[in-house]
Amino acid sequence: MKAKSKLPNLDTVTTINEDGSRFNIHPADVRGRFTRWRRIAALLLIGVYILLPWIPVNGYPAVFLDVLHRRFHLFGITLAAQDLWLLFFFLSGMAFLLFYITAFLGRVWCGWACPQTVFLEHVFRRIERFIEGDAPARRKLDAAPMTPPKLFKRVLKHGIFLILATIIAHIFLSYFISIPQLWEWIRTSPVEHWKAFFFIIITTLLLYGNFAWFREQLCIVICPYGRFQSALIDDDTLNVAYDYGRGNPPGSVKNPEAGDCIDCRRCVQVCPTGIDIRQGLQLECIGCANCMDACDEIMDKVKRPRGLIRYASERNLEGFKTRLLRPRSILYTGLLFLGIGVAGFAFSTVDKAVAMATRMPGAPFYVTDTHIRNQYQIRLINKDSRDLSFSVSIQANGLTVPVESSGFAGAEILSPMEEKNNTFVVQVPREAYEGPFALKILVEAEPGDIELEREVEFLGPDPELLRRQSQANP
Amino acid sequence: MSDPKNNQDDHLRPHVYDGIQEYDNRLPNWWLWTFYGAVILSVIYWFSFYDAQIMESDTTRIDEAMAKVEEARLAAIGEISNDTLWQMSRNPGFVAAGEAIFKEKCVACHGPDLKAGPGLAGVNLVDDEWKWGNQPISVYSVVTNGSPDKMSGMQSWVNELGPQKVSQVVAFVLSHHTEQEMADATTLNPPINLKTPPVAK
Repeated sequence: MKAKSKLPNLDTVTTINEDGSRFNIHPADVRGRFTRWRRIAALLLIGVYILLPWIPVNGYPAVFLDVLHRRFHLFGITLAAQDLWLLFFFLSGMAFLLFYITAFLGRVWCGWACPQTVFLEHVFRRIERFIEGDAPARRKLDAAPMTPPKLFKRVLKHGIFLILATIIAHIFLSYFISIPQLWEWIRTSPVEHWKAFFFIIITTLLLYGNFAWFREQLCIVICPYGRFQSALIDDDTLNVAYDYGRGNPPGSVKNPEAGDCIDCRRCVQVCPTGIDIRQGLQLECIGCANCMDACDEIMDKVKRPRGLIRYASERNLEGFKTRLLRPRSILYTGLLFLGIGVAGFAFSTVDKAVAMATRMPGAPFYVTDTHIRNQYQIRLINKDSRDLSFSVSIQANGLTVPVESSGFAGAEILSPMEEKNNTFVVQVPREAYEGPFALKILVEAEPGDIELEREVEFLGPDPELLRRQSQANP
Repeated sequence: MSDPKNNQDDHLRPHVYDGIQEYDNRLPNWWLWTFYGAVILSVIYWFSFYDAQIMESDTTRIDEAMAKVEEARLAAIGEISNDTLWQMSRNPGFVAAGEAIFKEKCVACHGPDLKAGPGLAGVNLVDDEWKWGNQPISVYSVVTNGSPDKMSGMQSWVNELGPQKVSQVVAFVLSHHTEQEMADATTLNPPINLKTPPVAK
C-alpha cells in the first residue's frame, strides 16, 4: 500500500507507512526572509567547516586532532593524551550550552546550524531540485517507469551526490591528519595507506546513504537530541508555532466564520519532515522555519498580517507574554555559568608542558651497601611550538632525610611536540632511612616559567630490619 | 488508505500509565532489517566463535602475537655474540642511537661521562674493571636480564627497550673500549652470559 500523498496526523510518523516502508517526502520550494538568512548562515558554516584545518593558530591548524601522534590542537591550545580528563568538562560544558539554548530558543540548532540540515537543505536538496525539478515534478519522476531520461537524471544526481560525499569525507579526514599529508595521500596509491582509504570509503558511503536516502529519518528516529526536547523545553520556550487562536478554524478567505488560516496546506507541502505544524509542536519538527516563510507568503497574498506561523512560545500563543525569568531559565543559566567557569578553570591549568612521574617497573626499591635506591620514570612532553628546556629536581624543603637524585644533571631540551621518558634515580643513605615517605619532584620548563610538582612515594625495607642487618654485618 | 483521523484507533495498546497510552505503530522497515541483521549476525558470530571456532579467539591471537615477539627476540639474540657486538660498536649509526638511549635511561646511574662517581648508583663503564665479565656478551646479558645481584644491582631492561635498543646501548658503551683493552681488563666475578641463572646475594 503505497500512498502518493498523505495527510499528516499526530498518531503516526508521516515518513513511515503503515506497513513500515518509507514514505519519501518532497518538500516544495520555499522563499522568504528566514530561508534567505538560513542559507547565508549555512554557507558561512560550510566555509568554517572547510577552513578550520587550514587556518594556522600558534603554528598549528585551528583544529587538528592528530590522533596518530596523540596531540590535539584546538585554537592555539595543544593537548596531549594525558590531558584527556579535560574532555569531560568540554563535553559537559557543551551539553549545558545546548540545554541553555534549547530552554530559550527550542530547536534552533537543528534548523540553523546542525551539519545534517546545513548539508542536506543547502547542498544536496538544491542539487536534487536543479536536476529533477520542483516537488510535483520529483513526485512524478518517482512514480514514472524507468526510461532513459529518468535513468540519466538519477545517475547524474547520485553521481554528484557521491562526489560531494567524497569531498565531505575528505574535509572530515582533514581534521585528523594534516593538509599536506592528506594531499600526499590523495596523490599516491591507496595501497600505501589502505586504512585511511578504507576510512574514506566507509565515511563516503555513510554520508551518501544519509544525504541521498536516509535524510529526515536521522533526525526523527536516530538523533537523541530531538528525543530530549520534551524534557528541555517548557511553555516559555520559543518554537516554530502555529497561532491557533488566530488561525482556527481554517476556512476559505471568503468565509467570515473562519480564522486567518485559509487551509492552503502550503506549510505541510514545504515541511522537510512531513508534519502539519497546525497540529501543534511535534517530535519531528526540526525548527527549520520553512512553514513560517511559506505562510508569510500566503498571508501577504491574502492581505492578512504575517506571523500566523512564527517563533512563539506556548504561553505566547495563549495570549500572555513569554516569561524569560523562570525556574528553568534561572537554573540553566546558573548551570551554564558554572560549566563555563569550571571548564575555563580546567583549561587554564593546561600548561605547555606535561610531566608525569611513575615508579619504574621491576623491584620497588634496591638496597645497596650504602644506600636505599628508588627508580622512577619521568615522562616529559613539550606541547609548545618552540623548544622547551626542562629541569627536574627534588623539592628538599620539608624532608627529614638527606636525598640524592640523579638523571637530570643539566637541562633536558625537547623540540616541539617531542616526548621523552627518562630515568630518575633517588637515593637515601642507608643509616638515614626511617621508612617510606612522600617525595615531591619539581619539574621546571623554560621559557614560560612553567612549574609542575609531582608527588611520588619513596619506598624501602622495614628500617628496624635494616638496622639489625647492618649490626650483624658491619 | 483509510480515514487518517481514525485509522489508528484499533492499534491503541490497552495499558495506561499516568494517562499516557501508546500506539502500536509498526517500526520502520530499515530499523527492523538492521535489528534482524544484528540478531542473525550475533548467532553466526556466536556459532563461529564459540562452537565452530572458525574465528580466532583472543587467546590464540595473543599467543600468536607473543610467539612472534619471542621469535623476534630469539632472532635478535641469535645474532648477538662478542664479535657481532664489537661490529655494532664500530657502526656510527648504531652508536648514535645507543647514545640517545643512554642519555635518557642510563645517565641517572652511570653518569653522562659513563664514569658514575659519587652520588650515582651505577658502576664505572669506562675503567679497566668489569663487575660481571670483561666480554661484550656479559655487558649485553646484564642490560638484558639485569644484574645477577637482584637486591642492589641494575634491573632488567629488555621489556622496556626491546632487544634492538639493548644492543644499540651496549654498542655505545663498547665504543669507548677496544677489543684488546677489554680482554686485558679485570673482572670481579666470572663472566656471565645470557644463560647464566640469577644468583641471590
